[in-house]
Parts: sequence; C-alpha cells; structure tokens
Amino acid sequence: MNPENAIEVKDLKKKFKIYFDKGHMLKERLIFANRNKHEDRWVLNGISFNIKKGEAVGLIGRNGCGKSTTLKLLNRIIYPNDGSVAIAGKVSSLIELGAGFHEDMTGRENIYINASIFGLTKKEIDERLDDIIRFSELEEFIDNPVRTYSSGMYMRLAFSVAINVDADVLLIDEILAVGDVNFQEKCFQKLKDVKQSGTTIVIVSHSLSQIEKICDRCIWIENGLIREDGAPRAICKKYLESMEYDRLERAEQEYVMQKEAEERKKKEEEEAKKQLKFQKEEAKKKAEEEERKRAKEAERKARNATCRDICSQCGPDARREGTQEIAITAAALLNHQKEECQKFHTGDTMVISCSYEKKVTEKREGTLSVCFTRSDWVYCSGFSLKLENGIKYQFKDKEQIELKIDSLPLLEGKYYIDFIMENDGEVYDALYNAIGFSVETPSRHSSGMVEIPHVWKIDGIQMKQIAYKE
Amino acid sequence: MLQKFRELYHYREMIISLVRRDLRGRYKASVLGFLWTFINPLCQILVYTFVFQFVMRTGIEQFSVYLISGMIPWIFFSSAVSGGTTCIKNQSEMVKKIYFPREVLPVSFVTSAFVNMLFCFIMIFMVIAISGRGFSPVALLFLPLVMIVEYVMALGFTFIVSGLTIYFRDMEHIVGVIMMAWIYLTPIMYTIDMVPEALVSIFNLNPMTPVVQTYQKILYYKEIPNMETLGIAALFALIIFILGFYAFRKMERNFAEEL
Repeated sequence: MNPENAIEVKDLKKKFKIYFDKGHMLKERLIFANRNKHEDRWVLNGISFNIKKGEAVGLIGRNGCGKSTTLKLLNRIIYPNDGSVAIAGKVSSLIELGAGFHEDMTGRENIYINASIFGLTKKEIDERLDDIIRFSELEEFIDNPVRTYSSGMYMRLAFSVAINVDADVLLIDEILAVGDVNFQEKCFQKLKDVKQSGTTIVIVSHSLSQIEKICDRCIWIENGLIREDGAPRAICKKYLESMEYDRLERAEQEYVMQKEAEERKKKEEEEAKKQLKFQKEEAKKKAEEEERKRAKEAERKARNATCRDICSQCGPDARREGTQEIAITAAALLNHQKEECQKFHTGDTMVISCSYEKKVTEKREGTLSVCFTRSDWVYCSGFSLKLENGIKYQFKDKEQIELKIDSLPLLEGKYYIDFIMENDGEVYDALYNAIGFSVETPSRHSSGMVEIPHVWKIDGIQMKQIAYKE
Repeated sequence: MLQKFRELYHYREMIISLVRRDLRGRYKASVLGFLWTFINPLCQILVYTFVFQFVMRTGIEQFSVYLISGMIPWIFFSSAVSGGTTCIKNQSEMVKKIYFPREVLPVSFVTSAFVNMLFCFIMIFMVIAISGRGFSPVALLFLPLVMIVEYVMALGFTFIVSGLTIYFRDMEHIVGVIMMAWIYLTPIMYTIDMVPEALVSIFNLNPMTPVVQTYQKILYYKEIPNMETLGIAALFALIIFILGFYAFRKMERNFAEEL
C-alpha cells in the first residue's frame, strides 16, 4: 500500500443473491430445495480508486447504482466477492446514528454505550465526554433518560457522539439532516474542522450542494462502474444534466402511454354506448351522466395533451384551462442564442416566446401574463402586457410575442413558467406550470430567491461587480 | 485467533456497556425490578423440591440444597444458550450498519447471564447457611475455576447457535426443545448413581454432566472436586469453544447480508 494513500480499492466486485422465495426455516430449506433458486445480481462490477490521506471524496449516482454498497464494503460490514479494500488507520462511520441507545438510560450512560460501539475505550470516552455534551447542547438534560428526549435532541446526541470519534477515515451516508438549521450549520462546521485536522472523508449523498461544499473530489458511480472521477463542480454538473435527460425521457414515455390509454378509453366508450342502447332508460340516464363526467375528464386530459402539442418543453405537470376564444399556439423558453433551453445560470439572458391565435371574429381585449413560480409553490414574480402599457391590449388575429430578460435575477432552484391570457378574470387560455427550468448560481455571494442588483461601496470606492456571465 | 482476541480486548468497553445495559435495562420497567433475578429460579426450585421430595421421593438428603447447587449453574447455561440464539438477530440494525467484531454480541450476552448467576449465588449461600450444612473453604477455592469452565463452554455453544439462527430461523425453537430435554439428561434432580449402569456411558457424553457434578461436589458434598471430572469438563469446554469460535468466524462474514 502506498503510504500516501488512506484507501486503496482494487477491482472491487460484489453480487447479491436475489431469492425468488426465500425460506428462512430449516424445513423450507430442506424440503423446498428448489425454492432456494436465486438470481445473482452484480451490484459492483469492478471499481478501483485510491484516496489520498486527508482527501474528502463524495460518491454520487442514482438510486441502486452501488454507492452505498461501496461504503459498506469500505466499512467491512459486508465483504467483496472479488477484489480488495485496504484502509490505513482507524475507520469510523456516520451511517447509523444512535446505535445501541437504551430508552430508559440517561443521556450520559448512552454516550458510553454508543461510543463504545465505535470502538472507544473507557478512557477515550472520558476524555471526550465534555466535548460531546457541549457539542450536543444538551447540558441540562444529559442526566435524564433518553426516552424523555424529543427526536431532535436524540439525533443531536447521537450525532455528537459519532462526530467526536476521532478516526483516520470517516465514512458518511446521507445523514447531515440533523436537528434545526443552526445545528446543521454546526455539524457542517465540525465536519470541516475534522477535514482540516487531516481526516480522510468519504461521503455518500444525494445533496450535490453538500458534496460541492465539502469534497475535493467526486466519484460518479453508474451501474456498478465508475463513470467519472474528478472535481466535484464539473462532475456534479454532468451528473445533473444526465439526470435531467432521464427525467425528460421518462416524461416522454408517460406522455406516450397516456395517449395510448386515452385511445383505448375512447374505444371502450364507443362500445359502452352501443351497449347502453339496449338498456333501460333509467340506467341510460345514469350512464349518460357518468359519461358526461368521463367526457369532461377526457377533455381535461386532452387539453393537457395539447400542452405538449403546442410546447415541446412542457413537463408532465402542465395544465391548461380557458375558453379558448384566444388560444396559445406555441410557447418556448429560449437562451440568448434563441435555442430551446431549460437550464440557466443566474445572470443569463432568457427569452420567452409565445404565439396566439384569435378563434372568434369579435374584438377581444385583455392581457398576457407570464408568471414565475418556484418548485415549492412560492410565487416569485409575474408581469403582464397590460400593466406595462397602462391600457388593455387589443388582441390581433395572430401574433407572436417575445419577452426578454437580460439578466436573470433568480437564484438557484427549480422554477415554472405560467402563461395566462385573460381579461378581467375571464380566462381565454392559460398554461399553468407550462415550462419548468432550473437555475444554478455559480457564485455564492447571494442567497435566497432573487439577486437584487446592488453596488458595494467602501470608503467611497466602488467595489468591482461580480459578473455572473462568463 | 490471537488477533481476534486483541481486537475483542480493544472493544472491551462495548462488552461492558452492553452487559450493563442488559442487566439494568432488563427489569427497569417492572415493579419488583432486579428481585426477579432471584424470584424466578427460587420458584422453580420450590416446585421441583415439592415434586421430588414429597411426591416422587428421590431419597436425597436435604434435597433442596442438592437441587439448588446444580440448578443455578444449569439456569445460567440454558438461558445463555437458548437466549443467545437470538442475540445477533435482535441487533440486526446494528450489525447491518456498523462495523464491530461480531463476537462482541455473544460474548456480552453470555457474560450478562453469567453475572446474573453470580448474583444468584448469594441465594445459594443463603440456602446452605439456613440448612446448617456449612461450607468447606478449601473446596470453595475451586468454585471460580468451574465457573470459568462453564462460561467458556456456554460461550462456545452460543457462538454456534447464534450464528446458525441467522441462516435457519427455527434454530431458536429447536434449541428451546433441546434445552428442555437436556435438563433431565443431566444429574440435577437426581444423582448419577441412580442412572442404570448401561446408560452411564451415555450420560458421561453430556458435557454438562461433569460441570454440574463439580458444582455439587463443592457446594453439597463440601469436598475438593474430583480432578478427573474437572479435567473432562475443561476439555469439553475447550473443544466446544474452539469449534464454536471457528464456526462463528465462518458464518459472520455474511451476517449483514442474511439479516
């Protein structure tokens, strides 16, 4: 083993047995020998990597890609079928918090039990006891039984024990969501201290921002193989793009399936109509009512489907409403080069394009509104044609409208755009959640929802603006 | 093997903590609390004494003293082994998520049963004192020795059954049945002299026979134990321990996956 390395993993392979019908009883094992048929599923197909001492590495990948298995192999909870794992020094894990806690015993006693499971001796625990209690902020309650603790207190105590086990290698599996915001921040800070002191850290997490914050390096595992290995910022970006691609593909599939289902339904309805003729009037009435309902639903669904027809960027959540007297015929979200785009950075140029057609001959006036909503349903901003001109807009027969945002002020998150054409509450056509897009904020000088344009001055000298555009 | 022992020694605080947790946690919520440690075997002994002294009449002088000196060690052995079947299964969350030498679990389980037996010895001494039979101080010096032998033997069995239970879940019921029969194959409620000549050799194959006989020699007969009997017991214990230890090592690699 290279003395510079803390972890050396060589050609690691692991399979699990998937039993079709697993018998745990002796009888079942003997009598139904054929029930023990199983399928081997290879979770890891030979991965190799070295981690240097003091390095912090994040493992990412979709569910079931083998990253947790890798962590378990590093932790010696399970053993590989092939290949080898070598670790220099003491390993500690933040995988299971609060192992061995006994409800009836006090916080202090539980610290001893829990820490001893991590392999500390009594002397070592004595040395750390004060640190652990101070870190958990449970000084007043430490001699109360753990069953009187709230779940937050419980987790705080458990985390404090685990993080205070000084190890050479620390393995972490998705647990940084402990306690309130202040405590989370504290855990994060502590983790940074641990890293500073030279501990090698391996983290499995779905929170890419956490990985970007802590790790120097990122390994992307896919189908039991390493897909990419390198700087977190570059890899996380690629990973996100790949995930987004998958999501769109899945949405496409659902869309196709939905259409098929509708066609099937239509056929069934026709057959049902034929049958209904032979039935009594009363039943007919009822059926008609039902059918009306069904038709309504189908209509609603059809509208939804048309969302896709007018805008290829529509997600599965898109919804359409309105009288259709004036109908939107196309909508698109574009970048500064007028290409369809659903990923933006704060400060990017964004162009929203929308075409409509008036289906009635009479005059119609009103407004087009474009609204932004964040994925957690926080309404961010909305602007309409009417307000800008002060007077209502007279709709033409056919027109294309473009809305340009020079520097997108929205900060990191997922957002949806709504298009609404209406006149004093009479909705002609509305596309809710029509287009979803994600925003990334490359620099962390701002937080929250929007970046308000601002200038810093120190002693009268204006500071250089941070440019988001590259 | 030596390396494993060193690692276990490093994890001694975990063993101590688990034993303490088990002993303190066991009766925490009940009214009589720790007294149950005494009440349970006491009731058992009262029932057996009634049956064997007044109904079936074994003719053993001061039967209750004879019974208790074999019964308390037996209760330790049987509770360690039959309870030990599930000692890993019950900690599945821990086994699946954290690394520690898996031997810690059976060791701490057997140790906690052992500590329980030590408490029960207070009761044995009280019964002997009341009976007026008295003690032999020299014989008592051998008591720790036979206790250690029994501990090692119980540990060996627990290694085997706790590991097997992970692979065959009905192991715990099988062990329960075996224990029920085993107590009657061990000279606890009768003396070995009562066993028909032809069957004695079979009885001698029972590893618990020499252990229980040694306890009775020390406590009931107030004599220095027969060295040959003690030696056989120690040999049995050693073989079972080594067997159990290696079987456990073979089985433990897949615990996390089988659970």
